[in-house]
Amino acid sequence: MISVRYHWNRRLGALRLSIFSTILVYAIIPVGVIVVVAALSLSGSSRARPARRYRPGRPYDFKPIWFLASPAQVSPAFRAAPAIEAGVIEDSSGAQVRPGPTGGASDRW
Amino acid sequence: MTVGESQALTAESREQPMTALEHAGGPTLTEAPELDMTEEGIDALDGPFTTRQLLRLDEALRVADQQTGLTFSVYIGDLEEPVRQSAETLHRQLEGAASSVLVAVSPNQRVLEIVTGSEARKRVSDRDAKLAALSMAAAFAGGDLAGGVLAGLDQLASHAGRH
Repeated sequence: MISVRYHWNRRLGALRLSIFSTILVYAIIPVGVIVVVAALSLSGSSRARPARRYRPGRPYDFKPIWFLASPAQVSPAFRAAPAIEAGVIEDSSGAQVRPGPTGGASDRW
Repeated sequence: MTVGESQALTAESREQPMTALEHAGGPTLTEAPELDMTEEGIDALDGPFTTRQLLRLDEALRVADQQTGLTFSVYIGDLEEPVRQSAETLHRQLEGAASSVLVAVSPNQRVLEIVTGSEARKRVSDRDAKLAALSMAAAFAGGDLAGGVLAGLDQLASHAGRH
């Protein structure tokens, strides 16, 4: 059995709210929450890097990269010298000598 | 000989540190991974690829080289006009150019070139290269640079077969 007793000079909780606490509960705290969430979302978006990926039609402004598997792991023949920087073969007149016919394919997108 | 003396001896005789750590108490490789990287490796991290994509690319190149015995390399960057000649010039700079395959991609010009050396051409026919180029171009047109390169390398390596 629950018995609710009121003291004769005590008023109910909602009626006891002063103007200041009303403003605090209904205005300052909600505005504070909104400000915190907005600040978090704005700081998150400014911190994000510019999209580091290629999109067709957008300019691609990265440095040229040349990937090559580690040559020493591939073949003992490459162990002595790095696979890149072999230089270009030139004949006596200085023209470039093509080592052999190269094949391959090209495409555009 | 005390432990300290033997450690001092081995530290002196050791020409190259066993790890990238300079001294005890320094940052670990997890904290500072750039200690173990070359300058090119740090440059590659600034490129268009994520670390995961770079690792997959590295793995694909290594597997392709090991399986086929050819040297695969991937160039991503601008090519001078005429594009084919400039890709062939890059290919000639490779050691063992005859048995190497260069995939040159220029995202700005939206051009890709596959150059096979004279030996590699016997393993990867021009038709196979064109097939790989088609699938790469399809992936690039969708904006998937890493996926296209991976697919192309995979196709080229499987057409070349095992050595």
